[in-house]
Amino acid sequence: MTDDTALLELRDVGKRYGPVIALADVSTAVRAGQVTCVLGDNGAGKSTVISLLSGVHRPDSGEILLDGAPMRFAGPRDALAAGIATVYQDLALVPLMSVWRNFFLGQEPTKRFGPIRRLDVRTARSVARTELRGMGIDLRDVDQPVGTLSGGERQAVAIARAVYFGARVLILDEPTSALGVKQAGTVLRHIAAARDRGLAVVFVTHNPHHAHPVGDRFLVLKRGRSLGDHTKGELSREDLTRLMAGGDELDELATELDRP
Amino acid sequence: MSAPAVRDERVAADHPVRRFLVRPELGALIGAVVVFVFFAVLSSTFRSAAGVANWLDPASTLGIMAVAVALLMIGGEFDLSAGVLTGTTGLAVTILATHFGLNVWLAVLLSLVLALAVGLANGYVVTRTKLPSFIVTLGMFLVLQGLNLGVTKLLTGNVLVGGLVGRSGFGSAHLVFASSVVLGGTYFKVSIVWWLVLTVLATLVLLRTRFGNWVFAVGGDAKAARNVGVPATRTTMVLFATTATAAWLVGTMTALRNTSAQADAGVGDELTFIVAAVIGGCLLTGGFGSAVGASLGALIFGMTSVGIVYAGWDADWYKLFLGAMLLLAVFANQFVRRYAERRRRS
Amino acid sequence: MTDDSLGRPPGGTHRRRPAAPRRHGRWWAAGAALLVLAVAGCSNRVDIGAAGPTATQPAHSGGPLTVAVVTHGAPGDPFWSIVKNGAVQAGKDLKVKVTYQGSGVPQTQAQFIDAAVNQHVDGLVVSMANPDALKSSVERAVHAGIPVITINSGGDKSAEFGAITHVGQDETIAGRAAGARLADTGVRHAICVVHEAGNIGLTQRCQGAAQGLHGKLDTVQVNVNNLTQAQATIRAKLTADHSIGAVLTLNPAIATAAVAAESGTGSTAKIATFDLSGDVTTAIEQGQILFAVDQQPYLQGYLPVQMVKLYHDNANTVGGGQPVLTGPGFVTKANAARVADLAKRGTR
Repeated sequence: MTDDTALLELRDVGKRYGPVIALADVSTAVRAGQVTCVLGDNGAGKSTVISLLSGVHRPDSGEILLDGAPMRFAGPRDALAAGIATVYQDLALVPLMSVWRNFFLGQEPTKRFGPIRRLDVRTARSVARTELRGMGIDLRDVDQPVGTLSGGERQAVAIARAVYFGARVLILDEPTSALGVKQAGTVLRHIAAARDRGLAVVFVTHNPHHAHPVGDRFLVLKRGRSLGDHTKGELSREDLTRLMAGGDELDELATELDRP
Repeated sequence: MSAPAVRDERVAADHPVRRFLVRPELGALIGAVVVFVFFAVLSSTFRSAAGVANWLDPASTLGIMAVAVALLMIGGEFDLSAGVLTGTTGLAVTILATHFGLNVWLAVLLSLVLALAVGLANGYVVTRTKLPSFIVTLGMFLVLQGLNLGVTKLLTGNVLVGGLVGRSGFGSAHLVFASSVVLGGTYFKVSIVWWLVLTVLATLVLLRTRFGNWVFAVGGDAKAARNVGVPATRTTMVLFATTATAAWLVGTMTALRNTSAQADAGVGDELTFIVAAVIGGCLLTGGFGSAVGASLGALIFGMTSVGIVYAGWDADWYKLFLGAMLLLAVFANQFVRRYAERRRRS
Repeated sequence: MTDDSLGRPPGGTHRRRPAAPRRHGRWWAAGAALLVLAVAGCSNRVDIGAAGPTATQPAHSGGPLTVAVVTHGAPGDPFWSIVKNGAVQAGKDLKVKVTYQGSGVPQTQAQFIDAAVNQHVDGLVVSMANPDALKSSVERAVHAGIPVITINSGGDKSAEFGAITHVGQDETIAGRAAGARLADTGVRHAICVVHEAGNIGLTQRCQGAAQGLHGKLDTVQVNVNNLTQAQATIRAKLTADHSIGAVLTLNPAIATAAVAAESGTGSTAKIATFDLSGDVTTAIEQGQILFAVDQQPYLQGYLPVQMVKLYHDNANTVGGGQPVLTGPGFVTKANAARVADLAKRGTR
């Protein structure tokens, strides 16, 4: 269900790194239960958007609004505390550790207190198994090292982790880029699952074929500037692809390359 | 969207055996059993109570260090200064108690402070400069080796400092660190008790606490760990402090047992600790391993060094035997783990 | 919609390993290793071919006597191999089973002594570089009724620990004699090269030498396990200080290193050493080394075994509570040739 106040909103945001203008006048909104896709080729400014939303950096101009109010994150921990979880490309999973240990890494459940405070292993195992099942993954053994899972399964673990720990906004940094077609499809299903649980998802990708099926809103970036912030109804997949690839430029290129 | 129930039943049956086979300490366990049987067959004294007490002794002092070093290696770092630090702490206790006349307990406490300073210095340099810990602790090793000799000669004019007996506090300190426990008429060194307790403690911390989870994470992928909020720097510092404390304990035990300290003590042992940890399943690249395994590795060393004497062999073959044991244990680990992984996928 | 993450082998299906050949290779390696060990152990038993049972029981009932020699010498040390040769020869001559163990780490040496006591040996021969560290183990042996004879180092604690006697050289006396000999040749400033930190015997030699020299004696620390480094250290000292008139080393390997170190530095310092080796006697013959103080390590291995046998067979004790001295003997150009032949055999 859509809310009229966006959960997270970028309003005319700009960012410079020294002399380089990474972003200028970029606006978009992210709503609960919806997926906002941030598209663009390499160098378009997608990573900068992520770093601003996740609190790693602060914008030089414009505002970022959380629940309608302007906010300023001092660092990624602040963003995390506000419910914004970021799943980076390397997933922040430790391959040699088991699934349940990875799931609860940094936020391990404990029982008893003081010097005899211990890991609540039973809870950790069962919660990890349940949450993954909720994402559609039934693992034989939550003790198996995360490194033995497929790429798609690993994404699921990372996403399920973010969802479980109370993220309201989930930012996914190129989750499908390193995957084959079938596994990418799986990840898109996970994204849909997270959306259906009421999260606001920011899906950053350079692949319009992945973005279109699952997105509700599309922000297309090119060289730090916005080529438009469109809703799904306004844009077909071909339109989106064309927009990303450069539209008219591509027509000209096609003509140029055509055999005489 | 959830799986049919049939799959769950198959999962349950598979668990216990496979889970056992992928344990890091399996290779060490096999090795320890093989070595024990080997020497027990060759010598009846080896398997007698007195014999057991005999080889548990070197196993215990090596084991205390191996466990601490294993924890550090699981956390992704090396400490090459751990061996020579056992010499430094022993010298500190002895010199403070004899040359400066301090109460032995006070000397022991100050020695601990010194050890912690060294450990935290190691940790600080490693975490701040991001230099490989191999290099940083190698530097510290050389520094301590020089200090051990230089300071001892400067203060006492000798390279062997003795005379702890009869100092105030010696009796009680000796009782705690260097005495023997009588069990059924046989004398077992108290270091064995320390070793077993510390192994259990280390295992609990590693497998059943948040900190233990962080150790695995920092060793497996420090960047990922930091990204999810694990205090990587603090974890590494604590691990270096742990090896330093273990070195203090062993150095104190040795000084009190020998009632003296030698300037060249401990040099060369650092590799033995690492070998014991690797036999116990620790990866050189970090993120995997076991405290129990390291203790079993130390047990193999202890049984071997004394077993060779009982078997009447020339002690020159000790190193060859150890090298063969190390390779066997590592092969066994790898073989069994690959087998278990393959079964998991079928 | 089916979820196709189920039912597929994780990690993909495209990875394959060459399984069989490598696994078998590993097993062969393991088997070979065990075989080598078994053969190595058997072929190095230091015992006599008496047709008796192997030593898994206390050897009292009619079998040969067993004597355990436990020293602080690292395996491979040329000095201690002469001691070992003496002990082994005594075992052959007297039909006694002799075992030899050595470790420079006092705690390990104590554990070896404990092992010997557990095996109920008939005699224990121990060198005590760090007597305090060995005290409890030696006293335990004495308490168990095993005759103990100390050799080489720790002579001043020998009687106190309950040993029958000490066989060796009084290091201070020997040091004084060496220092005096150097002084006689006009040396006023010498360096004393200590190669084993923690050995009071070596310290006593240097201190004795200082007394005998009546001049200036500096000690220099090197590590006998790193001869190249030792050579470099001595060379550096000689080049830095031209007033050094003599280099006194305490080990034959270090003496050879000192000879090599001096060549090319332009130093005319005399070289003298404690203890012999084939190279040292050759160097004495050629005039590169002035003299060697010989403590006759062969005797330190041979005599204690003989004493243990006499103690068992005839309740004899040697020494009357005093040490049995094996040195100092001096090897100079005069007698070097004779000794040289013997040194090449590894018995002098």
